[in-house]
Amino acid sequence: MTDAALSTTTIAARTDAGEPSVSPWKRALLYALLLAVSFLMLYPLLWMVASSFKPDSEIFTSTGLVPTDLTVDAYRRGWNGLSIGFGWMFFNSLVISLLVVVGNLFSCSMAAYAFTRLHFKGRGFWFTLMLGTLMMPQHAVLIPQYVMFLKLGWVNSILPLVVPKFLAIDAFFIFLMVQFFRGIPRELDEAAIMDGCGPLRIFLKVILPLSTPVLATAAVFSFIWTWDDFFAPLIYLNDIEKYTAQLGLRTFVDSTGTSDWGSLFAMSTLTVLPIFILFILFQRLLIEGIATTGMKR
Amino acid sequence: MTTLALNKIKKSFGNLDIIRGVDLAIGSGEFVVFVGPSGCGKSTLLRMIAGLEPISGGELSIGGERMNERAASQRGIAMVFQSYALYPHMSVYKNMSFGLETAKMPKPEIDKRVRKAADILQITHLLERKPKQLSGGQRQRVAIGRAIVRDPKIFLFDEPLSNLDAELRVQTRVEIAKLHRDIGATMIYVTHDQVEAMTLADRIVVLRAGVIEQHGTPLEIYNRPANRFVAGFIGSPKMNFLDVVASDVRDGGVAIDIAGKRARLPIEGRVADSAKLSLGLRPEHIETDGAGGLEFGALTVVHVEHLGGQTIVYGRLVDGQSLTVALDGQRPISAGSTLEVRIAAENCHLFDEAGDRIGR
Amino acid sequence: MSTLGTTERPVAGGRFRFGDSLAGYGFLAPWLVGFFLLTLGPAIASFYLSLTDYSGLGAANWVGAENYVRIATDDPRFWTAMNVTFTFVLLSVPLKLVFALAVAVALNRGLSGLSFFRAIFYLPSLVGGSVAVAVLWRQVFAGDGLLNQALNTLFGFEGPSWISNPSTSLYTLVLLAVWQFGSSMIIFLAGLRQIPQDMYEAASIDGASKARQFFKITLPLLTPVIFFNAVILTIDAFKAFTSAFVISDGTGGPIDSTLFYTLYLYQEAFTNFRFGYASALAWVLVLIIAFFTAMSFLTARFWVHYDD
Repeated sequence: MTDAALSTTTIAARTDAGEPSVSPWKRALLYALLLAVSFLMLYPLLWMVASSFKPDSEIFTSTGLVPTDLTVDAYRRGWNGLSIGFGWMFFNSLVISLLVVVGNLFSCSMAAYAFTRLHFKGRGFWFTLMLGTLMMPQHAVLIPQYVMFLKLGWVNSILPLVVPKFLAIDAFFIFLMVQFFRGIPRELDEAAIMDGCGPLRIFLKVILPLSTPVLATAAVFSFIWTWDDFFAPLIYLNDIEKYTAQLGLRTFVDSTGTSDWGSLFAMSTLTVLPIFILFILFQRLLIEGIATTGMKR
Repeated sequence: MTTLALNKIKKSFGNLDIIRGVDLAIGSGEFVVFVGPSGCGKSTLLRMIAGLEPISGGELSIGGERMNERAASQRGIAMVFQSYALYPHMSVYKNMSFGLETAKMPKPEIDKRVRKAADILQITHLLERKPKQLSGGQRQRVAIGRAIVRDPKIFLFDEPLSNLDAELRVQTRVEIAKLHRDIGATMIYVTHDQVEAMTLADRIVVLRAGVIEQHGTPLEIYNRPANRFVAGFIGSPKMNFLDVVASDVRDGGVAIDIAGKRARLPIEGRVADSAKLSLGLRPEHIETDGAGGLEFGALTVVHVEHLGGQTIVYGRLVDGQSLTVALDGQRPISAGSTLEVRIAAENCHLFDEAGDRIGR
Repeated sequence: MSTLGTTERPVAGGRFRFGDSLAGYGFLAPWLVGFFLLTLGPAIASFYLSLTDYSGLGAANWVGAENYVRIATDDPRFWTAMNVTFTFVLLSVPLKLVFALAVAVALNRGLSGLSFFRAIFYLPSLVGGSVAVAVLWRQVFAGDGLLNQALNTLFGFEGPSWISNPSTSLYTLVLLAVWQFGSSMIIFLAGLRQIPQDMYEAASIDGASKARQFFKITLPLLTPVIFFNAVILTIDAFKAFTSAFVISDGTGGPIDSTLFYTLYLYQEAFTNFRFGYASALAWVLVLIIAFFTAMSFLTARFWVHYDD
């Protein structure tokens, strides 16, 4: 129980610890190789973005990244390519993703707090079950869930996508938070108890303020995964005006076929853009989040 | 006047008994130190008093009122934690005011109390800082400040100095003693360090395996340890114990043979003839000059530590038993040499086979 | 994975903490409701449905094990889906592991710019599951797509349409999966960092070559992480859906060559509305995944090296 344990498992780059035995030649070769692989890996993405700014004729004739003639025509065509504008679908995606973020933060932090900080009968039992749900594929519960939401009249609304998140259905985030909460010194809770705090006040005034890194990680992952999610919107949303950006993009593929790659790429680029921005902003949190949950402790 | 009373206090985790019936009355304004080896239950006992650990049996009362079921914050107690447990996300001011805000005290009153405590502890200039920006000693003060603002009847300290370096530890020890004099509240202090216990306590409570072995003023404990355990625990260097055999028990005295010499010690109570006893000798009481008392003959020096103010000699008696001697000042003694050692009879402690003190 | 045990002090006879149980269940309430209503209840219901002919409308008629019998004996598309899925899993998981490990080891050489490379390699994992990337993949591997343009420009080679050719279409999806090796790589990097540097120093002094150090130190000490990654990747691979759906327009084509199990399940449930049969398919998938997970854990003690 040290203060140091408060910071997340830092995996900051160990830049200066170069192994002395690696010769400069080998080192240069390694760099060249890594750069080549990175470039190759990113090339399709870069090309997609570049092509979205190319005149349509050029997409199938040029493998290069620089458009000869920079145009946003494809964006104009794509944005209004469906009966409902993409703007509206982006708005739907945004609403759903933000609600999921709120739901996950709310319910998973509460569950994680109960699992790590409160003493109650059956805690170990429930915790084991929670871990069990981590492993369980969603397919096992998919159809009855669908039937249930159908009977509730929730299908073709955002409720099936959002409400479960307020019930801590994403056990992964509980697990992530449990890992983090365990690192917060227990003496802080005890100091708060001495200061007259009950469980709720300890949670709100001590645990949550100290957990901003893990809350941010959970928020960003929630947002990205929900934004990217295709399967749940596919089965639960029927009307095009309720579509998310991902569904819209898929419908767009169907409706244009392969006739207008330019606008397809333009809309694809737009749907990836929010994720890319979040990635740039929260790169460290995301990478640490993955590393922490993947590691023992 | 008794302010805190422990009556047959028990604590068990499952089948494991951690505290096995502790009785203790602590007077108002008293500075009591719980001391003992790790695992003796001293911290658990303190945490039970604090209200952080449920009491399995017995009764805890403060100011005559039963406290077993009372919430920690309602007991009129403040606690200073080993790691200080300062809220990392709050400023020093907020750390100190948080408990008062929780109790919904009016803002001006909170401010007055925080400023007063900060003044006492000379941390007024740090009030806006975060704990991260403070040195170990400063954090310690904030932790104490957080206790002071609550104006508790009883302060609890859980090994508060163990995270400080040696120099700061001495300094803070002095300050805690001064704080006790200034505010006159009851203080209960847990440590495994017998020097802290000796220097701070009005009364020392020595614990082992969940039982109070002895309690009394530091000098009582030093001069008349109730058993071998207490004798060995209090005092540095540790007390020597020599195996001896009782003989010729008569007239309130007993003869013992050590290293081929016979000596008589006065005792009270009964000792069986040829009982195996343990003779306790504090290293600092053993002398190398003069005459009289118990003489042990020649001590073969095995190793010497020259501390400047003191010289510690580790040696072996003629019969092979080890003996440590602490001599004042600097002595030109080296390993391999021999010393004649003796001790005044009144400085001898006798313990029976069970380890209990034999009278006097 | 983390140790599951809780290390807190046990509390016995905690009489004045009676509020804690209340608070505990209070904080756990959302999860408990979710667990019963969205996980346990549906899991039981789905098993029940798998023994019926439920179609979403009308009553669920009990058919006993008929659905399962049909799956095993009378459903060629099920076997196609199994074939496609297992090919996908058995190709993509090992390849992903090897790539992730190789790149992680290369990056762990104390290079400057590590965080730059790490970010770049991770990016595909982050966006790889999106519709946008599936759309992109469709274009890249189309007859007149980016790949063939490049092949033509570089080698003058006229490539086929990789996507619409049943003998290659699945491999484009494998490639898409392998392209997303980044998150496993990050976990490997974190694992590599936990290997004490002095082990390598000791080995160097003992005269062990780099290759020997890799096989005798790095690899054995990394087996827990390899194990973790393998389990996670296998489960994920069985659940792959979006890319196959988008690339094949939801059909699993051409001629069922990309009919992932989940895609078949989706079609049975939400296109053909055979909820009962689809539930049986779902349970078969759960059993397959459970079997693989259990096997990994059972074999783990033979090859996973734990130092505690």
